[in-house]
Amino acid sequence: MHNSSPKNKHQESKAGARIWTRIALVFAVVGPGIITSNVDNDAGGITTYSLAGAEFGLKLLWYMLPITGILILVQEICARMGVVSGKGLAALIREEFGAKVTFYLMIGIILTNLANTIAEFAGVVASMQIFHVPGHFSAPVAAILVWLLVIKGSYKSVEKIFLGACLFYAAYIISGFLAKPDWSLVYQEISSPQPDFSPSAIIMVAGLVGTTIAPWMQFYLQAAIVDKGLNITDYKIVRWDVIIGSVTVSVVAFFIILVCAVTIHKHGISIQSAEEAALALVPLAGRYAGDLFAFGLLNASLFAASILPLSTAYTVCEAFGWESSVNCKFSEAPQFYILYTLMIILGAGLVMIPGAPLISIMFLSQVLNAIFLPVILFFMAKLVNDRSLMGENANGKISNFLMWGVFILLSVLSIGTLVTSFF
Amino acid sequence: MTDPFNIFSFFSEILGNPVIEEDGGLLGKVHDLSAYVQENDPPITGIIISSAHKARFFLSWSHVIDFNHGIIKVKKGSRESLESIDSRAGDILLRKGLLDKQIVDTGGAKVVRVNDLQLICRNGSLVLSKVDVGLRGLFRRVGILNMIESFLQWLFDYTLGENLINWRLVQPVGSNDILRLKFSQVRLAKLHPGELADIIEDLDQPGRARVFRALDIEMAADVLEEADPKVQVLLIQDMPTEKASDVLEKMSPSKATDLLQDLEEPQMETLLKEMEPEAAEDVRELLSHDEETAGGMMTTSYFSQPPDATVEEALKILHREAEDFEVIYYTYILDAEDHLLGVITIRELLISDPMASLQSIMIQRLAVVPPEASKTDMLNMFEKYGLRALPVADEDGSICGVIRFKALMEEVGPRIFR
Repeated sequence: MHNSSPKNKHQESKAGARIWTRIALVFAVVGPGIITSNVDNDAGGITTYSLAGAEFGLKLLWYMLPITGILILVQEICARMGVVSGKGLAALIREEFGAKVTFYLMIGIILTNLANTIAEFAGVVASMQIFHVPGHFSAPVAAILVWLLVIKGSYKSVEKIFLGACLFYAAYIISGFLAKPDWSLVYQEISSPQPDFSPSAIIMVAGLVGTTIAPWMQFYLQAAIVDKGLNITDYKIVRWDVIIGSVTVSVVAFFIILVCAVTIHKHGISIQSAEEAALALVPLAGRYAGDLFAFGLLNASLFAASILPLSTAYTVCEAFGWESSVNCKFSEAPQFYILYTLMIILGAGLVMIPGAPLISIMFLSQVLNAIFLPVILFFMAKLVNDRSLMGENANGKISNFLMWGVFILLSVLSIGTLVTSFF
Repeated sequence: MTDPFNIFSFFSEILGNPVIEEDGGLLGKVHDLSAYVQENDPPITGIIISSAHKARFFLSWSHVIDFNHGIIKVKKGSRESLESIDSRAGDILLRKGLLDKQIVDTGGAKVVRVNDLQLICRNGSLVLSKVDVGLRGLFRRVGILNMIESFLQWLFDYTLGENLINWRLVQPVGSNDILRLKFSQVRLAKLHPGELADIIEDLDQPGRARVFRALDIEMAADVLEEADPKVQVLLIQDMPTEKASDVLEKMSPSKATDLLQDLEEPQMETLLKEMEPEAAEDVRELLSHDEETAGGMMTTSYFSQPPDATVEEALKILHREAEDFEVIYYTYILDAEDHLLGVITIRELLISDPMASLQSIMIQRLAVVPPEASKTDMLNMFEKYGLRALPVADEDGSICGVIRFKALMEEVGPRIFR
């Protein structure tokens, strides 16, 4: 598992070779940040972005800039804790806050991630239906594909496939150009934003933030960094990994909002979901734009459907100290594989039940995310300020000020989401 | 200190308990305990007390006068002896350094985390004895043990078992909060039986039984052969009769005999009846002789062949079954009535023409001892002929068994060097 990077050979090599060593080093380190961020644009994310664009046009587009900043801030903390401590977030929480807190947190994480996994499989089914593939076929096939990926793969091969999946998000960028937006208008909206304080706009913004920054991501990012064997000497590249990942996410989200804004919103069509957006695009922006949109949804849902169970298994095993690695055999990490398999079976299985309340489950997953995010952020804030743990890499004054600011903002948004969801 | 011998407490049940002076003054609450881990059974050396103002102090364990059910009573005036917390050489803080930490097995694979620690009152001091790695420990920490227990009892009639690892089998590894097991269930099989026997001998009885039960029959037999006679008896008595007899069958007849001789008569009989007739017969034969004579020390696990067999045939069998024989240096040539006709060394067997019959190459002049031969007789014979093993034959020349030089040395060696 531990990728030994050829650091000490640096000085010996000649100038030409040095560049290649550097490039090799970069490729040995990147992955966790880019993958984690991109999985963010999952079925729920794409739905939220589509609705934001369809309902509010270009008005909410500029919010993606501060959201990107917040995403980078939060993810950087996890990345830093990962490289400094060599332990995942769940491990740190267990060691610093004890068994009781960890136990209840894990129950929460399992439920939240399960609801999210169901939502992802629902996304797979919905997008495949656009291509006329029935759900009772697409759901089990997707489940088996996803399961085999991790069971048969090694960390390296799995990561390569995940990085490949990231490239397919370009589908949204292409469909953005196919929709032929008026670029001067887009520029105008972003350069002179007009904040909209209507309740419906605030709820939508809360939804945008909530879908971009999810609880499971923090666990996955840190665990992936640790699993890759990265340490403090790799930190510079890890930080770029996180920043590039966060920016690409926002670029993709930007284009999804854009597409829906210049087509669906412009024609005053009302949509409820991402697949309705894809269908609505066909007459407005052409067949290719619609198909690409649907393909993007399929890719994102499949991608997240494999990462979420994986993340759950990593997190829970870490908390209770069981062996967990894609590189292990079943007998070496039974709890890991059982959890992983169970999440997929439950996720895909519940989607296949005829008349399952998928919209409610998708909604529930967002609510659970909203409840847990402030809790996780609180633990992260405590841990990253623990000098016995982080040493000189603990948070400084400025990053602490920013972090607590984000914590308060996200807590308020979370509570707002909860309140508006139930009333 | 009231010393209820071997009364144990769980660390999680002590944490947060009040520390009270003799005259009733409250010093604070138990925040942590320190233990001296250089010793095999680390004694608790002090308490980290968190006082009302959230300040933390160290109090040496020598001030404790009563420790009962986790409530700690200390000498009057202990307040004056509170010290600041600095790390002391050889000391480890149980909460900070052990609780919730990762346990890895010998190969570094993660196994579980420390859910709780078990402390035992022994000879007036409190000692760190076991590491709780089970679900019971986890639920106890979460505070739902009673609930889960009664639920499982009610619904499945199932009792959640303890899962404790002896502290002696765990060693802290440098930094990074990791404890390494000295052995792991999975990797037990890769240890040498002798090493494993040593580890088992070091454990207390429940611990021994636990490790021993995890072994397969073959390994259990090998380990038992290497273990101390007293431990052998304890282990065999702890096993169900069926498994015990299986293990005895896999042991060499002479070692099995030695073990059985140390058991009570009825138990020995039960085990012999349970064993396969062939193996039991070998043992009975050995049992009938005096332990001090050739008959009592010989093994019946030797390699024999009829005179008309060829070298090739003999080698083939030896190759296949060598593992099962205690003595393979010599091939004994026997007729149909087990009369000893001759002997062939393994060297001779390997360099001879494969098609040659055994009787054409065997040595007929034999050094033999009777079953009644004393140790001195045997030693003299070994010395005279420089053999590795000596056949034992009765008056009409039929073979009873073979004495290995090594077995004889194990008997007389200690006496010579004393």
